[in-house]
Amino acid sequence: MEIANTAPQAGGLSGLLEKVCFTPAGLVGLAVLIVLPLIPPFNQEYLVRWLVQAAFIAALSVAFDFTAGYINIVNFGFCAIMGLGAYTSAILGLRTGLSPWVGIWTGAVTAAALGFVIGLITLRLRGIFAACLAWFFGLALMGLATKMVWLTRGPLGLRAPRLFETSSNVPYYYVILAMLLATYLVTRLLVKTKMGLAFQAIGQNMEAARTSGVNPVYYRIVNFTLSCALAGWLGGFYAHYYGILTPDMMHTSKTVEVLAVAYIGGRGSLWGGAVIAFPFIFAMELVRSSLSSLPGLNLIIYGLLLILVMIYYSGGFAEFYNQHFRKKEARA
Amino acid sequence: MSNNPTVSAVEWFKSAAGLTISLAVIAALAATIDRGPYILVNTVVTGGMLSLVAMGLALVFGVMNIPMFAHGEYFMIGTLVAYYVFTPMNGYIDQHTGTLAAALLPLVAIIVAGLAGGVMGVLTEKLVFSNLRKRSRENWVMNSFLLTVGLSVVLINLHQLIFGTEFKGIVGYWRGAPLSIMDVFISRDRCMAFVLAAVMVTAFWLFMTYTRTGRAIRAVSQDETGALIVGIDLNGILLLTMSMSCALAAFAGASLLFMYPSYPSVGLEPLYMAWFVVILAGLGNVLGAVVGAFIVALLKVLTVEYIGSGWEFVVPSVLIIIILIFKPSGIFGSEVRGILDK
Repeated sequence: MEIANTAPQAGGLSGLLEKVCFTPAGLVGLAVLIVLPLIPPFNQEYLVRWLVQAAFIAALSVAFDFTAGYINIVNFGFCAIMGLGAYTSAILGLRTGLSPWVGIWTGAVTAAALGFVIGLITLRLRGIFAACLAWFFGLALMGLATKMVWLTRGPLGLRAPRLFETSSNVPYYYVILAMLLATYLVTRLLVKTKMGLAFQAIGQNMEAARTSGVNPVYYRIVNFTLSCALAGWLGGFYAHYYGILTPDMMHTSKTVEVLAVAYIGGRGSLWGGAVIAFPFIFAMELVRSSLSSLPGLNLIIYGLLLILVMIYYSGGFAEFYNQHFRKKEARA
Repeated sequence: MSNNPTVSAVEWFKSAAGLTISLAVIAALAATIDRGPYILVNTVVTGGMLSLVAMGLALVFGVMNIPMFAHGEYFMIGTLVAYYVFTPMNGYIDQHTGTLAAALLPLVAIIVAGLAGGVMGVLTEKLVFSNLRKRSRENWVMNSFLLTVGLSVVLINLHQLIFGTEFKGIVGYWRGAPLSIMDVFISRDRCMAFVLAAVMVTAFWLFMTYTRTGRAIRAVSQDETGALIVGIDLNGILLLTMSMSCALAAFAGASLLFMYPSYPSVGLEPLYMAWFVVILAGLGNVLGAVVGAFIVALLKVLTVEYIGSGWEFVVPSVLIIIILIFKPSGIFGSEVRGILDK
C-alpha cells in the first residue's frame, strides 16, 4: 500500500489530495465503492440495497461523529432529528407536490433549525446532561410523530414519493455515495480550519478553552446546527429512497446503531465510521439473512462489539489503522 | 439563613424544590377533585414502583458515576425471572386459594427475581465495568454510558434469542376481589406493588442511613479517594452498589409483572421514565429520586387523563426540558461532585 506523505510542504499529487482531505488509500477505497455496484456479485439488487444502507449509515455516522468526536456531546436524539428531516421532506412532497430533490434541502433546513434550538438549550449543560436533553428531544419528537396522525399518519406509515422512477437501486446508490462524500468533505474541511481546533478544545476541556479565548457558545451552536442539518439532509434521502416513513425510524435504537458504527470506526476521526460501516452492515445483514432462525443474533454481535471496543480499544478502527498502517508523521 | 421555622419554611417554598413539590401537590389535588380519586391512587402506585427503578439509577450514578442506559434491562430480567418462577406455582395457587401459601408464593417469585437481578448486577460489574475501570478512567462518564448502551442492546436481544418475542405475562399474583380505597377499586396486585415499593424504599433508606456499609456507600459517592484513604474497600462497595441497584430494578419489574408482561424491550418505558426522574431530581440524588418519581408519575397520569394516551413521553419530556433550561442540576440539586465537568 502506498503511504500518504501528508507533510505540509508536499507538493504535486499528494499535496492536492491533502487539500481535499484524502489519502491515496482513501481515494482507492472511494474508487472501489464507485465501481462496486457494477461488478458481480455486487450487481445484484439486494446487494446494492445493502450497499445503499451501508452508505447511508456511513454518512450518518460521519455527521454524528462531527458532534460526538469533536465537541464531545453525544447527540442521543440524532435519528429523531434525521426523522424530522425525512418527515418534512415527505410531507412537503405530498402536500405541495414539491420535488424530492428540493424537499431534501427543506428537510436539512428544519433539522438545522431544531439543531440550533437544541444547541442553544444545551449550552449550559455538559456531557451526559446534554446527551439526555437531546435524547428527551428525540423522545418528544418520536412521540409527536406517532400521535400527530393527521399529519404523519402515525404508525400506519407515510408514503413518500421516490427520487427516481426506476425500481433499480443503483442510481440511489450513487446519490447516497455523493451525499456521503459531501458530508465527509464538509465536516473534514471545517475540522481542518481553526474552527476544528476550537471544537476539539471545547470537547476536551471547556474551561481551558474558554480561558484561551474560545467562545464555546458560538462553536457549540455551529457544530450542533451543522450536524443536525446533515442529519436532516440524509433523512430526506431516507424518505425518498425507502418511500415509507414510520415513527420507528426515530427510535433510540436507530441512534444506537449509528453510534455503534461511529465509535467502532473511531471517534474523532470522521472517516473511521464511514469505512467501517460497509463491512459492518454487510456482516450484519449476512448474519441476519443466513441465521434467520436465530433472530437478534446480529444485534448481539453489535452490542458485544461496541462493549469490547469501548473497553479494550476506545480509539476504534481509526486508531488501529493509524498505528499499524501509517507513518508516524502522517498521523492525523 | 434564619433558624426561625416559619422563615425557613417560606424559604423552602420559594426554592425550586418547594415550588415544584407544592405545584405537584396542588395539581394532584385539583385533578383528584376534577376527575375522581383514582388519579391519586394511580399516581401513588406508579410512583412507588418508579421510585425503585429511579433510586437504583440515581445510586449507580452517584456512587459509580455510570449513567446507566441498561437499567431497564434489569427490570426486564426481573419480569422474566418472576414469570418463569411464578408460572409453575400458578396451578398450586389455583387449587389452594385463600391459604397462606397462596399469599406467600408470589412474594417468593418476586424476591427470587430481585435476587436474580442482583446476581446479574454482580456479573455486569465483574465482566464489564471493572474491566473498563482497570483500563482507563479517562472520560469515564461518557465511556461507561456507551458501554451500557451496548449492554442494553445485548441483553434485549439475548432475551429475544433465548425466550422469543411473545408476551410472557400473568393475570395476577394475588387472587380475590379488588380492595376498595377512597371509593376506588384497586386490584390486590396494585396494592401489594405499592406496599412492596414502600417497604423497599424504607428498608433501603434505613440501610443507607444507619448501617456501616450504607455509610461507606455514601462516603464513596462523596469522595472516592477519601473513602479509599479511610480504608473502605472500594471495589467491594462498587460491586455492592451495582448489584443492589440492579436488584431494585429487577424487584420492581417482578412486582409489576401483571402490568408489564415480559418481552424483550419491556424495560424501555421504565427506563425512560426513570431517566426523566433522575434528571428532574438531580443526577445521583437518591432521596430526590423518590420524590421525583411521584412527580413524574403524576405528570404521566395527568397527561394520559387529560391529553390522551401516547402523549406520555411528549409532555413530560417537554416539561423536563423546560426545567433543565432553568435548573440544569435538577430541582433538588446534586451533591455528587464534579458531575458537570465530566
